[in-house]
Amino acid sequence: MSWFLKGIRKGIKTEKEVKEIAPWATSLIGNGKFDDCPTKALDNGWNSGKCIFCRKCYPNYSPSGDYRMGSVTRRVPLFKRSFYLYPIDTGSCGSCNVELKLISSPQYDMTRFGIFFTNTPRHADALVVMGVLTDGMEDAFRRAFDAMPNPKLVIALGSCAISGGLFGKGVKADVIIPGCPPSPPTIIDAILRARGEK
Amino acid sequence: MRMIGQLGEFCLYSDRIEKGICPERETLKKENYRSIQGFTFAYGPSAGGLLESVGIDLDTFGEYISDVKVIPYKIRKVRVKSIIDNSILYVERINGSFSASHTISFITAIEEGLGIEPPYEVKIGRIVEMELERIRNHLIVMQRVVEAAGFSVPSFQLLYLIEKVNRVIAKSFGHRYFYGVNGLGSLRFYEEIKSLEEIKKEYKEIYRGIIDNRIFIDRLQSNGVIVDKEGIGPVARSASFKNDARNDGNYAEIYKELGFSTVTYDEGDAFGRFIVRGEEVEESLRILSSINLHSVEYESKKRNNEGEGIGRVESPSGDLAYYVKVNENIIKEVYLFAPSSYNILAFSSSMVKNIFTDFPFNWESFGIWLSEVGVIFE
Ligand code: SF4
Ligand code: SF4
Repeated sequence: MSWFLKGIRKGIKTEKEVKEIAPWATSLIGNGKFDDCPTKALDNGWNSGKCIFCRKCYPNYSPSGDYRMGSVTRRVPLFKRSFYLYPIDTGSCGSCNVELKLISSPQYDMTRFGIFFTNTPRHADALVVMGVLTDGMEDAFRRAFDAMPNPKLVIALGSCAISGGLFGKGVKADVIIPGCPPSPPTIIDAILRARGEK
Repeated sequence: MRMIGQLGEFCLYSDRIEKGICPERETLKKENYRSIQGFTFAYGPSAGGLLESVGIDLDTFGEYISDVKVIPYKIRKVRVKSIIDNSILYVERINGSFSASHTISFITAIEEGLGIEPPYEVKIGRIVEMELERIRNHLIVMQRVVEAAGFSVPSFQLLYLIEKVNRVIAKSFGHRYFYGVNGLGSLRFYEEIKSLEEIKKEYKEIYRGIIDNRIFIDRLQSNGVIVDKEGIGPVARSASFKNDARNDGNYAEIYKELGFSTVTYDEGDAFGRFIVRGEEVEESLRILSSINLHSVEYESKKRNNEGEGIGRVESPSGDLAYYVKVNENIIKEVYLFAPSSYNILAFSSSMVKNIFTDFPFNWESFGIWLSEVGVIFE
């Protein structure tokens, strides 16, 4: 049987609602005191961009099940119909990269929202930064940003890119997607909000 | 007895360590193939299609590759020389896709150094993690190869399974990459592993569909051949060598009890590596179906206050080992043998005399993660 028919036979696998979510990829709630946070994410209430979801503060803080952790400081509604992402790994452990790739899996099917990956920053609407900004990748990061047409967004994916996490420094971004790593539903939700939806 | 590779100031063998530099790997020496003047094609460090950042310099005189250099661009400083609990946070994040393998190998080295014997259930739990990790990573490598070869339907079907496996891991361990699961004295486990039967059935269908495809076979066969009896992981096993830390590493005894059988193939090419991974997914699913797991807290009773130890496990891409020197609760020294350091050498050697268009799927067939070679321990 051809691949085309095999594909059709499987039917539609895309999920309308978010089905399952990893607890330690959702926002934390709690108010107990905890002084031993390795990234100082609890110095002033819970800071999602600093948290590496390590569970050290459990049970003082525990996962809420709410995966909508992204926050957006600049929206570009122009990207509503098509939104091209250029992923750049500036110093990641690799998990953020796999989770980003998985937004293209049939369960999430990013293309139904008009979200696509592009192989060149020249065609990109947003730069998705993963990992800490390492010395070796600083130049490649700047060049990718400069090569993008306007308007453009920088999306920091994961605590490394947002705040440096455990390993170093992060980047300045228009959209932050907390998590270590953020799960696919968190990523899609934040991207839709960056386009002014939701 | 087999040589595994450089572990800091030691050469690591399957049965011992020796101080000094490992002998050169004769089979991976690149042939001199530079008779015609060519040019260097620089790929990366950030290029569409690559999953991670990496620079690859390909020397070519047109069609054929005469030399390859792989350059890691992302170098991270890892502060592992600190108290044990904190060092584990770093080790978990050296290579997220092999996080269980890294962490378990690291903790095993500490346990050896301090004379701690973890309970049997903990060892079983660790095997469950490593086999789930192997399934996920083999599926990722297979998906990358299939995508690079231009087959989109099976590529999406494999992505579907990867997401499913990640959900199984999250349900049982609370995190899709095993972060926060392993500690010295604990293994966090939420609930019994379910839905593997469905994955098994769907996988079988997709896998058979791929390997029965003549066009796919033609693209991979005779591509990137490596026959290295001192090789590791799927690279060695695809060339008929049974090298596998599940037979001679720290958890070998339990693997034996579980009836583990080593998968091999006899060509040493990209197709062979694909087949070895493909069949190992089935073997890992079989192992998992025979295990019942519970959450375990154990008392990490030390026999020594200080010591040194080595932990070695079979990561999805081959032997992975840590040497650790520990004093009370503090890590004093750490060395790592990351499988990707071997696989980069094997890839580079295999590309000489190959044609340029074979490069993407040959690269993917080695299952290399740059994150684990670009680390400096502090
Ligand atoms: S989970 Fe870890 S990083 Fe996050 S707030 Fe708690 S202690 Fe800090
Ligand atoms: S945020 Fe976490 S998962 Fe993402 S690259 Fe950093 S350590 Fe890895």
